[in-house]
Amino acid sequence: MTTDTTPGDPLAAVLATIVGERGVIARPAELEVFATDALPTHRRRPGLAVLPRTREELIAVVRALAAAGRSFVPRGAGTGLSAGALADGDTVLIGLNRLTRIIAIDADDRFAVVEPGVVNAALTRAASAYGLHYAPDPSSQSACTIGGNVAENAGGPHCLKYGVTLNHIVELEVLLPDGTLVTLGSADGEREGYDLLGAFVGSEGCFGIATQVTVKLTPDPEAVRTLLADFSSLEDGARAVSAIIASGIVPAALEMIDGPTIRAVEASIYAAGYPADAAAVLLIELDGLAAGLDADVRAVERLCRDAGARGVRTARDTAERARLWQGRKKAYGAMGRVSSALVVQDAVIPRTKLPVVLRAIQEIGARHGITVCNVFHAGDGNLHPNVPFDGADPAARARVDAAMREIMDVCVAAGGTITGEHGVGLDKRDYMGLIFSAESLDAQCRLRDVFDPSRRANPGKVVPLHACREWAAAPGARA
Amino acid sequence: MGRGAGSARVIATAAATREVADRVRAAAARGERLRLTGGGSWLDAGRPVPGATALPLGALRGITEYVPGDVTLTALAATPLAEIERAAAAERQFLALDPYGAPAATIGAAVATASAGPLAHAFGTPRDLVLGLEAVTGEGTVIRAGGRVVKNVAGFDLTRLLTGAWGTLGVITEVSVRLRALPEMEESVAIAVRDDGTADCAALLTRIREAPAAPWSLELLSPALAATLGVASRTVLIARLAGNEEHVRAQLAALRALAPVARVADGVWRALRACEPAGAAVIRLAARPSRTGELWSAARAATAAVSGAFAHASPGRGTVRMILPGANAEKTTIVLDALSGLGARCIAERVPDACWSHPLLSTAVGDALSRRAREAFDPHWILNPGILGDEA
Repeated sequence: MTTDTTPGDPLAAVLATIVGERGVIARPAELEVFATDALPTHRRRPGLAVLPRTREELIAVVRALAAAGRSFVPRGAGTGLSAGALADGDTVLIGLNRLTRIIAIDADDRFAVVEPGVVNAALTRAASAYGLHYAPDPSSQSACTIGGNVAENAGGPHCLKYGVTLNHIVELEVLLPDGTLVTLGSADGEREGYDLLGAFVGSEGCFGIATQVTVKLTPDPEAVRTLLADFSSLEDGARAVSAIIASGIVPAALEMIDGPTIRAVEASIYAAGYPADAAAVLLIELDGLAAGLDADVRAVERLCRDAGARGVRTARDTAERARLWQGRKKAYGAMGRVSSALVVQDAVIPRTKLPVVLRAIQEIGARHGITVCNVFHAGDGNLHPNVPFDGADPAARARVDAAMREIMDVCVAAGGTITGEHGVGLDKRDYMGLIFSAESLDAQCRLRDVFDPSRRANPGKVVPLHACREWAAAPGARA
Repeated sequence: MGRGAGSARVIATAAATREVADRVRAAAARGERLRLTGGGSWLDAGRPVPGATALPLGALRGITEYVPGDVTLTALAATPLAEIERAAAAERQFLALDPYGAPAATIGAAVATASAGPLAHAFGTPRDLVLGLEAVTGEGTVIRAGGRVVKNVAGFDLTRLLTGAWGTLGVITEVSVRLRALPEMEESVAIAVRDDGTADCAALLTRIREAPAAPWSLELLSPALAATLGVASRTVLIARLAGNEEHVRAQLAALRALAPVARVADGVWRALRACEPAGAAVIRLAARPSRTGELWSAARAATAAVSGAFAHASPGRGTVRMILPGANAEKTTIVLDALSGLGARCIAERVPDACWSHPLLSTAVGDALSRRAREAFDPHWILNPGILGDEA
């Protein structure tokens, strides 16, 4: 197979007959926008990108690629943090963010049927007329797409109480890499048989493309309380998290933002009014029925103070609540402002291990001379150590890589996993062997082959190739 | 780096699991068909597995890891749900998984069959509760999927694939689940349903859904079942309210504003789970939740001629469950025939053998993807072959 991906790629003309000349991008300069996702440390420029406008065009594109035996990478808004939606060589990038139709909202059964390019926040806006919302809320929700959320099994702060993407997808129309359309799951109540829907959600574009997504919508809570608890040490904050989880109160969200992150946020346009001298704050949201909610608020406040909080305040109104959340959701952007490069991890650890692991992360950062900013879903034990650094300095990059590797080892040794919501992609592929045996990885390869026996969808991602017995042996196996 | 398991966190494989793997490997070598048996309390469920040797899994028993502060638990597959319930209750926690049937039911069987009970209304089914698992494939290979933490997207989701696969893609040997804290207060109530008319029932269900109440369980009971459970002698809706005291009181008041409400003993849920007599045929109907009233009427009409039949429904999930004590093939077929024009999904839990060929009960794993999954994980078709109506 040729690896020549100059504008002379003969496939470009074939695709142009489907999507029009303007829907095919072959010029290197124009392909630059697809060369990274939101993680700036990985770059791969595709040779060809195609942007279908309709479901029918998308189907025709995938069938043309199947006929030509070409591999492809589906991409939504490109807000991912695992380098999963990158393509290079002769792999074609399929941009899905023109497929933005909300096909139906069924307020009676609380479903919405959408195309994959619908933006997460746009769906919630559309559902708000019915007193409903789409619960999973990644920090990138103002840009990320439902199709991308399905591919990554995306999370978000409110997944602590409401569950991750998987728990909210009821039916999918999926275009398999060979061009076949299948329906997985069912919006018409429970169904028997293999949970192929569950297997597809989180498959990172390696099993095919969701062409139509039926999601559950969640009723807006009757009442919401947002609290900010302020701590003079990271461990005190972590102990408060453990105490809240152990108490049985399930907050809608329980987020931790540490001192370095607070200072980056407060220096940015997203300043949220976090106390600048705090070692950590917890952003805690409780929601549900109004009755009894304030009793839970008082209990959470007490648990925070018992763990050593200097102060706990409750947002007085919607505007203050929005401001507190804005600081959290834009923290990644605020950190990106102050440095040329940024890495972020996504390990999940058992929640009782938060104090000891956070201490270990601080120690690792100090030893390697790097700044670690922690802003994460503490209630789930889902860490996001962010490290801003000078991307132009190879020595800095080496220190960061070494520290990140050590942090991951600590999280895995604590009984954790390597990624809670960002996905494996390319970024964490080499960590898979830390948590899965060769046999387990091989089983994952087999599952991929169920959906994509030709191995053309998002090749080379998620599972390290050498882990797959048959793949390693296959003469056509590609890196 | 990361090649093989060299630097991996090694989780020990139980001796009993290694024995299961050896047994499956030997069976695979000679094409011997295996019928997986855990607690043995639900062996008449699913289609028959002819010509199979029993593969007893009872040695896979015990809780392997439970850190209450993490609110997660890991147990070997044949651990009875009752044992998990006891261990968790000692820490004021519980597993929100209460499938119908005998208390001897095991966690492995509940996950393998994706069985759920009244708590599914608020907490979902096994796919929503299981964090990870260990399994033995049809070739005798031990694999792990998912993990023990509450959020995990590492790798392709074999956990979801094996959950509800009835053992046909792998013998589940260990399961990790999320737990929840027991509530400060719990109160169960019966809400009178004016009659069995579809419109009345549907209207009440709509009002309850829109009321400021968030019950943990909500089940509609037929008059015969309500009487058996000592709740009423008419159609009623029972609700399980839980939370802090103020929260529960406010919900009670909200329900009272809609319809007459009577308190019932908390034990009603345990009694409901155990309501089906041994050997009864059990059939479920499923559709979108807004059709529950319609399904309920159809189920009541279809079972009217079967003496002793009763039913219950989960309006939040759009599921109606019919229990036909002592029904033979002829009577069960009459019920299935009566449900044929409904346009709802029909799922048989247990029916007389002759009924499995009824057109309403055609296999749900006959599609190309399901067949490829079977070929990938049980290439010799030895794990519970035929239980899902599939054939090699």
